Amino acid sequence: MALDAKQKAALFAGAGALRLLLFQAFPSLPNRLAGRVELSTPVSSFKRLQEGLYLYTHNVSPYDGGVYHQAPLLLPLLSLLPSASDHPLATNLLFTVVDLLSAHALGQIADTGRAASTRLFTSSRKSIRWSSAAIVAGYLFSPFTLAACMARSTSALTNLCILTAMAKASQGASTTFLLVLSAASYLSMHPLLLFPPLLALLYDARLDRSKSAPSPLTFTVMHTFGLLVACGALLVASALLTGSWDFLEATYGVRLLLPDLTPNVGLWWYFFIEMFDSFRDFFLGVFWLHVASYTPGLTIRLRTQPLFVAATLTGIFAIFTPYPSVADAALYLSLIPLFRHLFPLMRYTFLASASVLYASFLGPAFYHLWVYAGSGNANFFYAITLVWSLGLSIIVGDSLYAALRDELDVERPELRDKEVKRI
Amino acid sequence: MLSFLSFLLCNALIACAFAGSDYHERLLLRPLPQSTLLASFNFRSNESSVTYEQQNFRLFPRSLGQILQHAHTKELHLRFSVGRWDAENWGQRPWYGAREGSNGVELWAWIEANTEDEAFSRWLTLVNNLSGLFCASLNFIDATKTIRPVISFDPEGDHASTSNLHLLHGTLPHEVVCTENLTPFLKLLPCKGKAGISSLLDGHKLFDAAFQTMALDVRPVCETPGENCIVEMEQTVDMVLDIARSKRPRDNPIPRPLPIEEIECDTSKPYNAPDTCYPLDKRTEPAWNLTEVFGKSLKGACPLTATEGPESETLCINTPPERTIQVNTTGQYTESLSASDTLRCYKLPTGAEFDLVLPEQRMTTGLVRGEPHLYAARSINGHGQERGSVQVVIKNPSTTDPVEFAYLESLPWFMKPYLHTIRVNVPTSTEDPLKETYYRPAVDRVRGTHLELRLVVPPASTLTLTYDFEKAILRYTEYPPDANRGFDAPPAVIRILGPFQSADRKGLYLRTTPLLLSLPTPDFSMPYNVIILTSTVMALGFGNIFNLLVRRLVGADEVPEVAGGLKGIVQGKIQWLMGLFGKHQKSE
Repeated sequence: MALDAKQKAALFAGAGALRLLLFQAFPSLPNRLAGRVELSTPVSSFKRLQEGLYLYTHNVSPYDGGVYHQAPLLLPLLSLLPSASDHPLATNLLFTVVDLLSAHALGQIADTGRAASTRLFTSSRKSIRWSSAAIVAGYLFSPFTLAACMARSTSALTNLCILTAMAKASQGASTTFLLVLSAASYLSMHPLLLFPPLLALLYDARLDRSKSAPSPLTFTVMHTFGLLVACGALLVASALLTGSWDFLEATYGVRLLLPDLTPNVGLWWYFFIEMFDSFRDFFLGVFWLHVASYTPGLTIRLRTQPLFVAATLTGIFAIFTPYPSVADAALYLSLIPLFRHLFPLMRYTFLASASVLYASFLGPAFYHLWVYAGSGNANFFYAITLVWSLGLSIIVGDSLYAALRDELDVERPELRDKEVKRI
Repeated sequence: MLSFLSFLLCNALIACAFAGSDYHERLLLRPLPQSTLLASFNFRSNESSVTYEQQNFRLFPRSLGQILQHAHTKELHLRFSVGRWDAENWGQRPWYGAREGSNGVELWAWIEANTEDEAFSRWLTLVNNLSGLFCASLNFIDATKTIRPVISFDPEGDHASTSNLHLLHGTLPHEVVCTENLTPFLKLLPCKGKAGISSLLDGHKLFDAAFQTMALDVRPVCETPGENCIVEMEQTVDMVLDIARSKRPRDNPIPRPLPIEEIECDTSKPYNAPDTCYPLDKRTEPAWNLTEVFGKSLKGACPLTATEGPESETLCINTPPERTIQVNTTGQYTESLSASDTLRCYKLPTGAEFDLVLPEQRMTTGLVRGEPHLYAARSINGHGQERGSVQVVIKNPSTTDPVEFAYLESLPWFMKPYLHTIRVNVPTSTEDPLKETYYRPAVDRVRGTHLELRLVVPPASTLTLTYDFEKAILRYTEYPPDANRGFDAPPAVIRILGPFQSADRKGLYLRTTPLLLSLPTPDFSMPYNVIILTSTVMALGFGNIFNLLVRRLVGADEVPEVAGGLKGIVQGKIQWLMGLFGKHQKSE
């Protein structure tokens, strides 16, 4: 059920036109959205990117300061564009194109059909699926994606890299996969955790294509080495560009140590505002360990469904990383429709969607009450971020249950539609 | 214009240093509009640098001298100020801004050191020692409040070599200057506030003034380069007193309305009646005398001042010649009129009290007032605790000369300016007024922002400088106890580079008022609640996922029916006990 060219062109043209129309019709909207804490975090904000560009073009090191925390190679690339404040069209076009490319990658993932049937596992419900067009439309017209695109946050670039890495892994294209995954890791660090499940996916895809694939060990070593080389090359290029290794502390150091406590939709900021100084380092370690712990657990248990593991991990990132934004959640929520066959097995869809909706409407309102109206305090927004994270984690947990139940139906068809228990 | 010229002349007279005696003091009084009075105290003591190096202190205070030598400080400038100089009404600052601070404490010094790190450690020694000496929180000037200005300050003194001198600058805008800072300040004077003009300085009146600033400046001065050097310490106190407010007796300070007979009424108002009055502004100069206004009497001259010549005239008043002034003293005094007539100076009697009495008088000529070279105002635009923008409005009153100036901003790290949003706008000109920018961005919790701009404002125009900034949210332990009051951003320093030049090397300065930033605050009462709630959400996610991952799904009918809860536990225990009992029986 591949996306036919006409349908695809119409869909992409519509989405592109909608974005450009919004940019043109509401010229103040992009800046307003870029100022929203839900969309722009200290590590992805467009305003900070502009400041970094300004410092870079004026020969001040952007990393010798506390404002710019994004990757160095973005600077020479984006400095080619005309200034966003004078000629916003070029930047708007860039972010629209990035969104369309991400949608294209998502379409490719859907086309491979690896969500429901992989080398080692084929779901008994694989016939229940949405067309690629529907999935792509779900991504392109999701209000979260639209808002993130309008805010021009650099999470869009990370999302593009992650989706392309998934697409390339499901197609079995090793080199491109390694390049885009290292680019994603270079931009935001945490996509590195997607490497094990995507490597498994790549291996399966390669084995499907040619029956004489290398041994798993050689394959893993080769690709790990390739990833290290690609990441290393990007880092060395950045160091050559900025003239020092200071950028490591200002980009990855900030993600690891959280010196900037600007509010966002995640769980870390308020926790570390209120944390006692002597326990700060301990809890930073615990929180990062917590994020990293999902990758091995999920990859080992769900070895047969690596694409599902990768999608679930993007959900984990949207909840548990230090600077998550709505753009991360948008990525996860648009990957969910790939697993349409699991929907009948999910138990808490109403609760989860209700709490996500509740948080998306009340979040901005409560933030306004706290910061602008002064009639609420920080706990208002904090409570909403808790609800948001809880809603997303219900979706993650529920879809995981559905995936395991689906697996059980294949292993033991006699238990289909029967009540099961965990032991 | 004539009054302005004479004003310049009299200032030049006062500023002119005369190297006869080693101790000079002078008080300049200048009535200002709206019944206010500027009192400008200046004390200067010299010590030859040879005896200074040998720690043989005579007039230079030993406590300060030893601190400066210990910290290798060659030149020191310290300001304690409260209030705002109202340039629109009061005109030019008394020392052209060179000795006046803006709110809080400001300190800058040239420190001799081989490396920047050494200079900084000596700077910390200096601020900690001065903190003890002046009973001020100067020790809170740390790396986040210290900058190294590039174009805004030049050394005033003669330094043999400037290669290893480091300029460091720190401000504490929130510091409340009060009487505990005045007492150590007076103790540095040779007459210690017991005689001479310093006997007029009283904490109650000084800190009740509309504007007051205390300055301490230490610099080396050489007659010829490297020879006959002296270390000069200059202390100045400037205050603008509201005469009516200062005249209130200390035991009865509540203002009361004047009896209606003493008020000038607007008789054109329809409601004007013997008991109803629309008061008009008084067009007369108020009556005052020194004792009333300063709350203390002037105890005669300090014996260390020169006995002859213009240096011996330690009290001057800067008013039009028509103003009547009566002298009230039992001792010998002399009065001299300067050439421009607007300055009358008095040589004080030694050991006898001295008072000037000015009666209420209707004047025909205006007050003596100099026009400032620039007017500056700075404010924050925008609302909310998340972000805002700073707007600086600088007006050049001159109709002929463009004024070039340096603008120095030292911002705390939690106020993050966006340099790409800087806009400098002069509506009357198309030329770019921004000539040069020095910028050192802040690093969270390590250092503050240092921004220096060189700008030109064309004649008779207004320059507007704006930039956006974002406010960081801090860790809850980093907020002061009064977190919702907000945080102060230090005043901006404006130095006029040209075409006006000061007669000496002090420079022409302006300072804006500090800014009050209201930062978003967390809830200070609930660290435990936040830790518990966040951990609960994380545990729910983690527990749910890992529970699914590590356990196996089986059909509900395949699991042995064991009742859960307490009943299950009790049943299990009973079964275990029975099993144990059974085994026991078997073995018997």
